[in-house]
Amino acid sequence: MTALTDKADGRFDFPMPAVNGGRAGTIEKLKLGRILAAVLILAAAVRGQGRELPPAADFAPDWSLGEKLVFVKGNLYDFIDGGADLYLEFGFERVLVQRYKKGEAELTLEVYEMTDADAALGIYLMKCGVETPVPDIPARNTGEPAQLTILKGRYFLHVNSFSPGADLLSEMVLLARRALEAVADESHGRWLDLLPVEGLVPGSERIVRGPNALQSIYTLGEGDVLFLGGRLIAAAGDYRSESGPWTLVIVPYPDEAAASAALSHLRAHLDSYLKVTDERGDGFVFKDFKEKYGAVERKGRVLEIRLNLSSAFDALQ
Amino acid sequence: MTKQRGYRSLGTAFPFKRREFMKVGGAAGVGLLASGRSLLAAQAQQAAPPPRPKTNIDEALKVPRTKYSLPGLFPGKVAEVNDEKAMADNVPNRDVIKAMFESGLQTLTGKTADASFPLLFTASDVVGIKVNPVGPGLISTRIELVEAVVDWLARNGIPNKNIVIWDRFDYMLTDAGFTAERFPGCRIEGLQTMDEAAAEGKTQDNSRWLRPDGTHVSTGNFDLDAYYWADVEGPKDLAYLNQHVYNGKYSYFGKLLTKDLTKFINIPVFKNTGNAISMATKNIGYGAVCNTNRLHAPLFLDVCVEVPAFPAVRDKMVLNITDGLRAQYDGGPGPEAKFTYLYNTLFFATDPFALDLVCHNILVEKRKSMGVRVNEHPKYTEYFRYAQKLGLGIGDPAVIQHVKS
Repeated sequence: MTALTDKADGRFDFPMPAVNGGRAGTIEKLKLGRILAAVLILAAAVRGQGRELPPAADFAPDWSLGEKLVFVKGNLYDFIDGGADLYLEFGFERVLVQRYKKGEAELTLEVYEMTDADAALGIYLMKCGVETPVPDIPARNTGEPAQLTILKGRYFLHVNSFSPGADLLSEMVLLARRALEAVADESHGRWLDLLPVEGLVPGSERIVRGPNALQSIYTLGEGDVLFLGGRLIAAAGDYRSESGPWTLVIVPYPDEAAASAALSHLRAHLDSYLKVTDERGDGFVFKDFKEKYGAVERKGRVLEIRLNLSSAFDALQ
Repeated sequence: MTKQRGYRSLGTAFPFKRREFMKVGGAAGVGLLASGRSLLAAQAQQAAPPPRPKTNIDEALKVPRTKYSLPGLFPGKVAEVNDEKAMADNVPNRDVIKAMFESGLQTLTGKTADASFPLLFTASDVVGIKVNPVGPGLISTRIELVEAVVDWLARNGIPNKNIVIWDRFDYMLTDAGFTAERFPGCRIEGLQTMDEAAAEGKTQDNSRWLRPDGTHVSTGNFDLDAYYWADVEGPKDLAYLNQHVYNGKYSYFGKLLTKDLTKFINIPVFKNTGNAISMATKNIGYGAVCNTNRLHAPLFLDVCVEVPAFPAVRDKMVLNITDGLRAQYDGGPGPEAKFTYLYNTLFFATDPFALDLVCHNILVEKRKSMGVRVNEHPKYTEYFRYAQKLGLGIGDPAVIQHVKS
């Protein structure tokens, strides 16, 4: 993975591939190196100017660069005060914000560099809602005329148009394409494969890396009640069955001892609104404030947590 | 007949073997397998949440109340007005919005807009209008609504120089269109400035916001005699100080509220913050004082009760109007266009807690209807009951009077 680096002028850029062996070689080697360098530079030029962030304003005619902002780590609160905790929990490095202007119209590109591809996936799943992919964007995305939301590698991108009544979608797509050329792809973990396919509500899948993300699904307790620590990742999804909708959270731990420790901690710090109705060695059943049931069960090194069940019968299965 | 199970358990055969878990989890998984036990042991000490920090709420409660103290003249009453023409073609219609403002006010007070004026103000008042400029143009307080309010105040005798459109941050007001050109004669004021260039790391020169003695240039805008104290330290880094002016355990009220304004109107927008809402009480709870970010994690929604309990808010915030012309049902409090929708609705109340509770319930239903997973844990509404306990508003849905015009 190639990380974004800051140039002296503050622009993001990628380091060019090394073209030299490093150790002094023969004249032939040097010549070969120079030829390779020329080829690579030419190749970069042919591919356009898209290898830099933020993209230049020529992604479409008549646009000009506006304000540029960069927020790093904890400074994210300066940009999304009140919403930064979720990004920081998943793993946030920095965000580049570049505004583009054309007359009264304005586009804003936001490129969030996360700590890894899992972090980017986590944020994307939290933000994408029901996905409505926009064609011609070469990455997983969802969008509508005011906003594109895009995932690529460890990058999470927004392209925003807050100009009322203006149809800028085609230009937003061009800007997104240019930005995507500058960020590397990278695979995230197959966390969502943890979820059984049968009955899974499409689009309900989430990953969880800490209490903020977990709270969006369910309140099992305060703090890091599942011992995720910002490093372990759980998968969650909604299901439909004849008994009604319910939610599944799967937490894989490194080993059985870790899973047992997490189960004990969860039981000891279970939210006060959840009343345990049945207890067994490797798990327990509870009833919540909406008269729904939940079940926590350790299976080897995995905690399987079922929520919003309509009856105790379901929970005891 | 055997009842169908409501789920399909994973069974004992977890789909990933240990080696596959390492693949799935990548480097993190490998690291955890190596260090899992020590990590979890450490987490056991850290995972339990700290107890709720102490605050100085008791000091606020000792101050005698006034005629205007929250929940104001109409406890528990919430007026709603809707007009589909307000944002036709996604563009605010000034005339329609003005008519909605006057209609909503009448529904709340039972009097015409002009006849309502003396219930809340006198011509000698200095009136603030607290807006929410976050997400400018998309989900910020509509300029056209503020124009309607300014027109109403002006024609009832408040000179423009005694009308102050305000927020915590001066630069956000400008971004959202609250400029002297748009509101001639009115004062447009942030409680503080923040040097964006320094915040974003463009410059190491902090001289535009940091004095040689290490204090923020906006310290003089805050009243050291009026504060919300909570036993939580603010971070000591310069970035935090740049944004928050102070970083100790004190969140001082802006002098604008304590010394200058005699009344103010709160105009938040209709949006969520996670499972909760970021509307009337959050707009003022986190907008009237500095040094707030330290409060989010340990006190979150309680701040929306305790800051408004102090006289600078409790006795001066005489009207709340929630701007739901365009609303946002998910992704908040930051702007997320995908989750915004034209709602063409305004809400009016003197009681910000009744107002927020009505809007909270509406937003929950909206979130469900849009397929958003909703965590309805009581902790996201407990602050309404807390506010009622403190006598600041009505937190019981059965008592709230929600009236549509």
